[in-house]
Amino acid sequence: MEAKILEFCRLLRRGGVNISFTQIADVLRAVSEVGFCQDDFYIALCSILIADRADKPLFDRLFRLFFLSLHRQGRVPSGRGAEEHEPGPAESAEPVSVHAELAQQADGSGMGRGAGASPAILLIKAIRERNRLLLERLAQVAVKSLGPLARTDLQHMDNTVVQAKVAIGWYEAVNRLERAKGLENISETVYAGWTVNLGWLEHRIEQLLEDLFVSMFGNEAIEEIAGAANLKEKEFYRLDNLEVDEIRRRITKLARKLASKYARRYKRAKRGEIDLRRTVRQALLTGGTPVRLRYRQKKISKPELAILCDVSGSVAVFSEFMLQLVYTIQNRFRWVRSFLFVDVVDEATPYFKNEDIEAALGDAFAKTYFSYSGFSDYGRVFTLFANNYLAGLSSRSTLIILGDARNNWRLAEKDYLQKVSENVRRIIWFNPQPRDNWDKEDSIMGVYAPYCRQVFECRNLRQLEEVIEAIL
Amino acid sequence: MFSSIAEVQQKLSEQNYLTDRNVATIIFLALKLQKPILVEGPAGVGKTELAKVIARATGSRLIRLQCYEGLDEAKALYEWNYQKQLLRLHIDQVQNKSWDEARQDIFSSEFLLSRPLLEALLADESIVLLIDEVDKSDEEFESFLLEILSDYQVTIPELGTVRANRIPIVILTSNSFREFGDALKRRCIHLYLDYPSFERELEIIYLKVPEIQQSLGRQIVRFVQTIRKQKLKKAPSIAETIDWAGALLNLGVGFIDEEIIRSTLSILLKYQSDIEKISPKVSSYLPE
Repeated sequence: MEAKILEFCRLLRRGGVNISFTQIADVLRAVSEVGFCQDDFYIALCSILIADRADKPLFDRLFRLFFLSLHRQGRVPSGRGAEEHEPGPAESAEPVSVHAELAQQADGSGMGRGAGASPAILLIKAIRERNRLLLERLAQVAVKSLGPLARTDLQHMDNTVVQAKVAIGWYEAVNRLERAKGLENISETVYAGWTVNLGWLEHRIEQLLEDLFVSMFGNEAIEEIAGAANLKEKEFYRLDNLEVDEIRRRITKLARKLASKYARRYKRAKRGEIDLRRTVRQALLTGGTPVRLRYRQKKISKPELAILCDVSGSVAVFSEFMLQLVYTIQNRFRWVRSFLFVDVVDEATPYFKNEDIEAALGDAFAKTYFSYSGFSDYGRVFTLFANNYLAGLSSRSTLIILGDARNNWRLAEKDYLQKVSENVRRIIWFNPQPRDNWDKEDSIMGVYAPYCRQVFECRNLRQLEEVIEAIL
Repeated sequence: MFSSIAEVQQKLSEQNYLTDRNVATIIFLALKLQKPILVEGPAGVGKTELAKVIARATGSRLIRLQCYEGLDEAKALYEWNYQKQLLRLHIDQVQNKSWDEARQDIFSSEFLLSRPLLEALLADESIVLLIDEVDKSDEEFESFLLEILSDYQVTIPELGTVRANRIPIVILTSNSFREFGDALKRRCIHLYLDYPSFERELEIIYLKVPEIQQSLGRQIVRFVQTIRKQKLKKAPSIAETIDWAGALLNLGVGFIDEEIIRSTLSILLKYQSDIEKISPKVSSYLPE
């Protein structure tokens, strides 16, 4: 069993959870106290291994796959996951068999990929009636409709889930339910109930698929799932909405870490010149004896930061993260100015006066004029930037450029970038594309690179952290 | 102290603190492994209360250290009472004592002001040490806590190492105001207290406001649980549900409708912006 727990910890680490040796030792001790039975085993592992609440969903997922698949083979007593993930009690009193039949009919009537309307109706019915048994049945139908699965389906899990959802008319049903909400004056409480059930169904489909893969490929499948869940390594443009939210939270966390790091340095810098006035005043307390010396505070010169963000297509998410990060720690800088561009450039600084970063981002993206044709044009942007905004920058400013340097075969106008670089302290370029793709097709990173002090590849959260630490 | 998880649960409920088995399991584990418990969760779910209840259930003395920005060793651990030391030196001067004698005098425990942490280590009886709102303290303080919490000992240069007489039960609470270091987090057992489930909250209401009618209680809890799911600056906590139930009882209300909710909403919601957000939509949040 010890070996199993160690293996489980390894999988968690693969999923991006930090676990120390002490924690593992503690878990082994804890398990020997509570035994392997029931919920206690689950709680012992969770309360010791999961130091960050954000890691809990992953923990639950892996726990279920790892220990419960062992359990199914009859090697480990049941844990909490088992109960939690059983289909909930049916809230509808109708007999199950009817629905099972219905579902089977739908199954029989050729609901392959991209099926017709009938499964969507069934799905809507299930959601409206809060019929968990029917939902469970639909989840099974969805997974079955995929036919035999291969290793590649596991590697592209997102895609596989989408296909399963299409098979039961998911998107149509969601659309119709949304319309129904407006038409039939559905109350918030009821609608919230629908959303919960939809979420449950989606989750259940994922679970069934994961189970299937684990039964096919064993621990290798769990390893694949853990790896795919590792947000730190996941490329920005492949994130789904939930993951974007999660990354936002992590960036806030990272920003706080950076901010307090700065505070520490500030304090250490206080040693040096003695502040005589304050020392004497303090000494009055101790009868004229200067027990504690007071030091004069040193001012740390703060850099000026301008940030020029490509917000076209796949780079937009990354630009948002960066803006969020920079504005969360803006007190580290003398000032921060931000510019958004696709093929024209506009300043977004005023929108960030707002304290709520999320609202500010929404404002900035909605109100700045950054796109004319919708295709990136770095040459034109650098020309405009050099002509219109250089006056606001100085030789103390750092300019950060975020972009993939994909210029759609337009003019590079590198002279203008050179002009910019001569007027600022340094230019740093973050490129969210893999280094291997630079200077291929329409990417002209190599043309611009000579004018930048540093060019970083920045594709995922881990790299973003590294890069930020390096430049601050 | 406790021999089983069931016993923990039972002892807590004897103190009128209703809780799930998982909370009991975590407390049991923390006591067995002699590790601090880090309690996290939204404001008002009973984090501080838990520490008080554990103290009562184990018959321990509660020592509380409230954290705030700028809290340092001098206020948390110990401080030399230098005014008293200076006085002593003056007297010694008058009596012509040598430095060696004087030094032995002024660095004895008589001149030591022990603050909560040292007090917890030195105590002879069993102690529950509550370090409240750790997230409000500074980073330096956090690393300093680390030393105490990992070995339950602390070094005072003039006196040597002070070891805990009895290892105290340590409970840290946090509102996630600030993320704190992994090192500290990894030394703790984690307990996430969330808002209670419908049934649990109902039990709590019946326990704290026993005169309330069953049907009204259910309506109240259902409504509160619904608005908790909305995006609010501060969601109503258990304490607010209890207050609201008490208020409605005193008003002699038998059931809740839109009008009553609107006029008493300020008991549940503490921010004007939250009230403005919920108020127009009260009818759609009403239990069916």
